[in-house]
Amino acid sequence: ELVALSTRDQIRAIRELPMSFGEKKHIRSGFESQAVKDDKLPFQCHSADRVNHYTLQRVIKQNSTVQRLEVIGKFGTSVLSYFVFLKWLLMFNIFSFLINFGFITIPLLVYDPLPNIPPNVSFRGLEILTGVGYFNYTVMYYGGYSNETLVGQVDYNMQLAYFFTIAVYMVLCGIALIFSMASSFKTNHVLADPASESAWQLLCSWDFSVTNEKAVRQRKNNLCVQLKESLSEKAQRKRLTLSEKLGHFGVYLGSWLLSTCLILATDAANWSLLQEAKTLLVPFVVSLMNLVVPLFYSLFNKFEHYSSHRRLIYALVVRNVFLKVSILAVLCYYWMNVVAETFCWESMVGQALYRLVVVDFLFLMLGSFFGEFLSNVIGTRLLPRIGVPEFDVARNVLELIYAQTLAWLGIYFAPLLPAIQIVKFFILFYLKKVSLTQNCQPPQRTGRAAQMQTIFIALLFFPFFVGALSIVAYVSWSLTPSEHCGPFRGLNNSFSVVGVWIHHLEDIPGSQWAIWIYQNIIKSEIFYFIVTLIILMIIYVFWQVTQGRKELIVLLKQQIVNEGKDKSYLLDKLQNLQTSQPNKTNKLMNQKKV
Amino acid sequence: MGNKQTIFTDEQLDAYQDCTFFTRKEILRLHSRYHELAPHLVPMDYTNDPECKLPLALIVNMPELKENPFRNRIIESFSEDGQGNLSFNEFVDMFSVLSEMAPRELKAIYAFKIYDFNVDNYLCKEDLEKTLNKLTKEELTPEEVELVCEKAIEEADLDGDNKLSFADFENMISRAPDFLSTFHIRI
Repeated sequence: ELVALSTRDQIRAIRELPMSFGEKKHIRSGFESQAVKDDKLPFQCHSADRVNHYTLQRVIKQNSTVQRLEVIGKFGTSVLSYFVFLKWLLMFNIFSFLINFGFITIPLLVYDPLPNIPPNVSFRGLEILTGVGYFNYTVMYYGGYSNETLVGQVDYNMQLAYFFTIAVYMVLCGIALIFSMASSFKTNHVLADPASESAWQLLCSWDFSVTNEKAVRQRKNNLCVQLKESLSEKAQRKRLTLSEKLGHFGVYLGSWLLSTCLILATDAANWSLLQEAKTLLVPFVVSLMNLVVPLFYSLFNKFEHYSSHRRLIYALVVRNVFLKVSILAVLCYYWMNVVAETFCWESMVGQALYRLVVVDFLFLMLGSFFGEFLSNVIGTRLLPRIGVPEFDVARNVLELIYAQTLAWLGIYFAPLLPAIQIVKFFILFYLKKVSLTQNCQPPQRTGRAAQMQTIFIALLFFPFFVGALSIVAYVSWSLTPSEHCGPFRGLNNSFSVVGVWIHHLEDIPGSQWAIWIYQNIIKSEIFYFIVTLIILMIIYVFWQVTQGRKELIVLLKQQIVNEGKDKSYLLDKLQNLQTSQPNKTNKLMNQKKV
Repeated sequence: MGNKQTIFTDEQLDAYQDCTFFTRKEILRLHSRYHELAPHLVPMDYTNDPECKLPLALIVNMPELKENPFRNRIIESFSEDGQGNLSFNEFVDMFSVLSEMAPRELKAIYAFKIYDFNVDNYLCKEDLEKTLNKLTKEELTPEEVELVCEKAIEEADLDGDNKLSFADFENMISRAPDFLSTFHIRI
């Protein structure tokens, strides 16, 4: 059947045969002789086809720099997933920067290249840190954009451009996140089976790409420890007395209460500082809390006894997520309710976000220095008992997610913020790589990296992206834009640009369909109600299908077991038959001879 | 394309490209690695298909394989004679299956061969025990080893014959999404 395929498929099929090279070559030469007989294309065409096919495949699949080799060889694939995640987030920012710069900033710069700065303000170096002063009047922030329709060769409506660019970007981000989350969930959770822990550890968990001697030895130790733990857990689970269980429960409760208290304390401190309006102190305190409180959480972990390492990681992740979400919630509440009354408030929010991003970057660098470099020095020279620090993938990924959320919040208020984010992530990539190779050891537990990846993408989507999207939506829907600056001055809310545009369209003949769509679909509630109903029905149908398939899987597994039993029964019967009746068969054969 | 190499004919390189997951450049690089292992044994001119096999002891010292607990089994499963003597074709085959381009099914077949120490097409308890000992460097007690292997068989054996056939193994692999990235040696 291989003959019937095209050349490319033939090549692919040959490569995937589990035979030795000699046999594959034999099969392949069989095809070639047939191909030469059949078609008239010269041999060179085939090889050109091959070359294109290979190089394209290579370019798409291969990402091999020497650096990646190092990281895999020593640290394994779970740490690599951190860097892959970082690169993926970088793509979001590059895309955002390109469309913001292209659709919003460039038209303004072309139309009016000189920003109208008041005469007594000049560029001092401090602006890079604080974001106020000179930057306030440039296109960096919302306030620097005009609300006019730029007249030139083509009339360019700045208001619509600003609104639609931001809206389209957020929607595209959401779609990209949903798709990657769904596909990751499908491969890593649905098809993965948590019930085969032991078999998995034995047969699938060894990372063949680790080539460094110390790393290999470490992994062997880790596997040993993990196996011993899981064996002793099974024994221990039967021996926990009631008092011990109560004790564990008390410890869990205590540490959750403590972490909630820490979060509330952080929020109170932030709120009071915000009220006092000290510009640089707020980001400083926020980043400090983000750095310090997770360390407390790791400390709590040492006192708690979780039944499996995975639950420990989940608890840690949940607490960190609560911390970051609460900090962002306090900040957003302050901005939406208190700042929104002041003069040119969007620019002020943009500046606050800019400062947060910059200070967060500084703290990430400092954290890398103190957390990893100094720990390494202390661990190896001063207190060798502690040992070399571990690269904590979970904490680092959460920091990345938080940084990206700040960028998403800031896009509406400071369209060029992704540029800063690009620089930040770029430097962070190389910094972390250097820090990793110099200071850290691989993570102790060879946990299931793929499942953690799904969780991180899911966390990125909800609550962080959804939160940022809802804040931006709230701002554009409910809050009054400031009256003296920005592209939406004079309107009741940003969303009304669409209404105004549709109103203008009524004068243009031939666009009745757009007006009809706006009036009857986007503005009407019945439409959304019907769509929601339809989606709910589809979900229900799919859910029932899934339930049916689960039952089918159970039945099929039972069938396999039964087939196995049948096979062994028949084999036994055959053996019995052969051993009990050898003479009968001999007699038969003798009779036949005669 | 620049300088003309004289190690392989064009037809040979095309055959390699078609039957493995490597490009021409990588095959030439593999040949130089193969040559480095035993410069006096491996000819530089492969145009007339010389019969040259390198013993297991030489191949096992490659940095990619040196620290791997299964290095001997890996080399043995790709050698035709089962003793670990690899010709260049088998060498290329080995790294091709272990490269990141090979599909999951192919890797599963060879992973099964690697873990099957007594080559009886089943992973019986002794095979699993040997695997575990190689992975933990004999730091577990024999009772613990036995317990773990029994649990593994219990979890993965579907047809109830107390050993893992290839179907059981493949079923387990299909539910381990990390397998493609862990069963991978980069050269």
